[in-house]
Amino acid sequence: MLFSSVTFLYWFLPIVLALYFITPRPGGSLRWRNAILLIASLVFYAWGEPVYVLLMAAEAVSGWLGGLLIDRWRGRPGARAALVCSLAVGIGGLMFFKYADFFLANVNTLFGAGLSLLRLALPIGISFYTFQIMSYTIDLYRGRTAVQRSLAAFCTYVMLFPQLIAGPIVRYVDVEKELTGRRHTPLDFALGARRFIIGLSKKVLIANVLGELADLGKNSTENSLLFAWLYIVAYAFHIYFDFSGYSDMAIGLGRMFGFHFLENFNYPYIARSVTEFWRRWHISLSGWFRDYVYIPLGGNRVAPARHIFNILFVWFLTGFWHGAGWNFILWGLYFALLLLLEKYALHSLLARLPRPFAHAWVALCVLVSWAFFDAPNLAAALAVIGHMFGLGLDMVVGPESLYYLRSYAVPLLLACLGCTPLPARLWGGWAATRRKAALEACAVAVLLLLVTAYLVDGSFNPFIYFRF
Amino acid sequence: MRRENWLTVVFILIIGGFFLLNRLIPAPEISASERRPLKTMPELSVATLISGAFMSDFEDYAADSFALRDGLRSLRAAAVFGLFRQTDKSGLYYDRAVGAGKMEKVDPASLNRVAEKINRLAAGLTDCRLYYAFVPDKSIYAERPLPGFDAAETHRVLAAALGADLTYIDLVAALRAEDFYRTDLHWDQARLGGVLDALGASMGFTPARFTPESLGDFQGVYAGQLALPLEPDSMTIMTAEELERGEARYLGQDGVFQPGPLYDRDGFAGRDPYDVFLRGAQPLIVLENPAASTNKELYIFRDSFSSSLAPLLLPSYARVTLVDLRYIDSRVLAQYVDFAPGADVLFLYSAQILNNDTVLLAG
Repeated sequence: MLFSSVTFLYWFLPIVLALYFITPRPGGSLRWRNAILLIASLVFYAWGEPVYVLLMAAEAVSGWLGGLLIDRWRGRPGARAALVCSLAVGIGGLMFFKYADFFLANVNTLFGAGLSLLRLALPIGISFYTFQIMSYTIDLYRGRTAVQRSLAAFCTYVMLFPQLIAGPIVRYVDVEKELTGRRHTPLDFALGARRFIIGLSKKVLIANVLGELADLGKNSTENSLLFAWLYIVAYAFHIYFDFSGYSDMAIGLGRMFGFHFLENFNYPYIARSVTEFWRRWHISLSGWFRDYVYIPLGGNRVAPARHIFNILFVWFLTGFWHGAGWNFILWGLYFALLLLLEKYALHSLLARLPRPFAHAWVALCVLVSWAFFDAPNLAAALAVIGHMFGLGLDMVVGPESLYYLRSYAVPLLLACLGCTPLPARLWGGWAATRRKAALEACAVAVLLLLVTAYLVDGSFNPFIYFRF
Repeated sequence: MRRENWLTVVFILIIGGFFLLNRLIPAPEISASERRPLKTMPELSVATLISGAFMSDFEDYAADSFALRDGLRSLRAAAVFGLFRQTDKSGLYYDRAVGAGKMEKVDPASLNRVAEKINRLAAGLTDCRLYYAFVPDKSIYAERPLPGFDAAETHRVLAAALGADLTYIDLVAALRAEDFYRTDLHWDQARLGGVLDALGASMGFTPARFTPESLGDFQGVYAGQLALPLEPDSMTIMTAEELERGEARYLGQDGVFQPGPLYDRDGFAGRDPYDVFLRGAQPLIVLENPAASTNKELYIFRDSFSSSLAPLLLPSYARVTLVDLRYIDSRVLAQYVDFAPGADVLFLYSAQILNNDTVLLAG
């Protein structure tokens, strides 16, 4: 189920909120409320994946059992074996359902094996919930968290619908206490609702609109420089507002139910280096790879050659996590090279560069990366990059691109403004008064009605990160 | 009340309010503004649940049955054109010269497939005089250039793909922005003088004179789709003494021709006022002119644009037969139509059909 759907907003959410908040808390226990959340999460997932819900449940039970065994055999070799088995189940499931056809196709290409592809549908959110389960078993093995003996509580963590299908990747240690002991306050609910509506508006009013422009640019027969840049810029805004909007919705919904998830985005497009960009973009994923892969490999406290290998390996995995395709792997390795370049060559230069030049460097690197990310294959990606730099074009500006530039000028300007902290700073700098509170409530109402109007009228509404 | 609670109240009022309204207000079966049936509650069964069909259909139903839907659609249109200053809403535009419309892209592959179908039909009509023309999308007459339809490209592709025995009649130069309804896809029958002149010059007839008869105001299909408050169009039909004596026979679903009027004035109050002209969607219609001073016959392979054009051609022919391949397969045509040797045959399609060839049942 999509958050940005009539079914979620006006059927699922009001029913779940009503059931959740009328459910009593005998002796302060959240057991019954967690049961409501768990059932709601199962319905939420089964709505989009009526069969794969069993796979997710099986992986959750496997992670829970793995945790029990790690705890029981703590300090003995059995704990390591239990961890390895638990990780094997998670990674094995991911490999089978997400990557099997990629490997088979490459074996066929390399060896002419003629193996049949499995053509399995990708279970929604499998990359996210697999990583969440792995974070629990690894942290438990490392002694950084306590075992969760309640299957229901553990399943509530894994399947919690706000962050189930597109993150943020919430680590067990970050919500462990709130699973059984969270508080529900009117302030949390209000701020959660506000965050949810802001995320929903980013998704429906900006991401979807600029996604249309990106599609128009991608599919146009007008081979112009302007359309090449319109496409890549629109796609850059589309993916940012789409994914950060979804993270806002997840964080907001979580807060309405008393959970405090960590931030997943911090205005990545204002970064002054690619290194900084990745500290601001999909923070939960880069943090996961840093803590569970990069640092165990030695991080940067190793010889330069080993450090270069560590970076390349982690970014190979990051790219591969995003999709079973060479373009994603190249996308990851491209960032690895940029990070190495900045670390070993450009670091001091970027620090001295005037801001506009530093921003331009990041914008250029990131825009080129989206060409890899959105392309069906390497040739298409290189064609887009070539067009961006004037290769193989018929014209600089065409009538179609000019028309769409004019038509999408305001959404593009809003997106430019919205990806900086300026609106939040201006709003935050305004003293809290009754007038401000009233204006905020009105703005929230207007945004929610506008979003509803867009959804009811049936508009372009894909969600990029579902495929991961 | 604490100030942050205002947010909560607003949120619950809207989410909860629409939840209740959606339960209390019965959903209409059709959308009058969009001229389409609305989705109904999908069938709930184990099979539809497992396949996911129930869930995907439910989302369509939830959106279609939403309370105050027309108002919300207008709100979106106001946001698109007013707040975000966009010049079209998912391809639907409003232009000062031509009014509301939908941008129609040229699809050369589709044009070529239509040409193949026409060539196959023309191969069986060697005794006839063959003509082709296309009705351009009205966007080409817009005040501000709109991307999409390209009349020159359309002509270039068709001319290259169609047989040399078909004569091209240029209607692009014969039409102006004001010849189309401002809220609808179609051309205005009262303003087809240029089209009749162009056809007559090529096909060898002198257009007759007609008297206008106003039926009243109407909102075309794009008004509803755009959901903007637009000035209505007025519908005028062109009458003449010969037309009053003319007869129309419509092929029914039972395979039998039934008589009917050339202008169905009652249809003006129906879902699509353009159905006034030859009763809208019909597979095969034969128009007879008992007062004709000629025995010439005309066959038109056509879409809805010809519904309003054909009556104006009737004074120049003894019989006009209209074939709509969207509703009758060309392979069964011989059961109902005997093409008279020496007759005129006109292939006349609009941009919408030319770029969506799959709708034509020409095997």
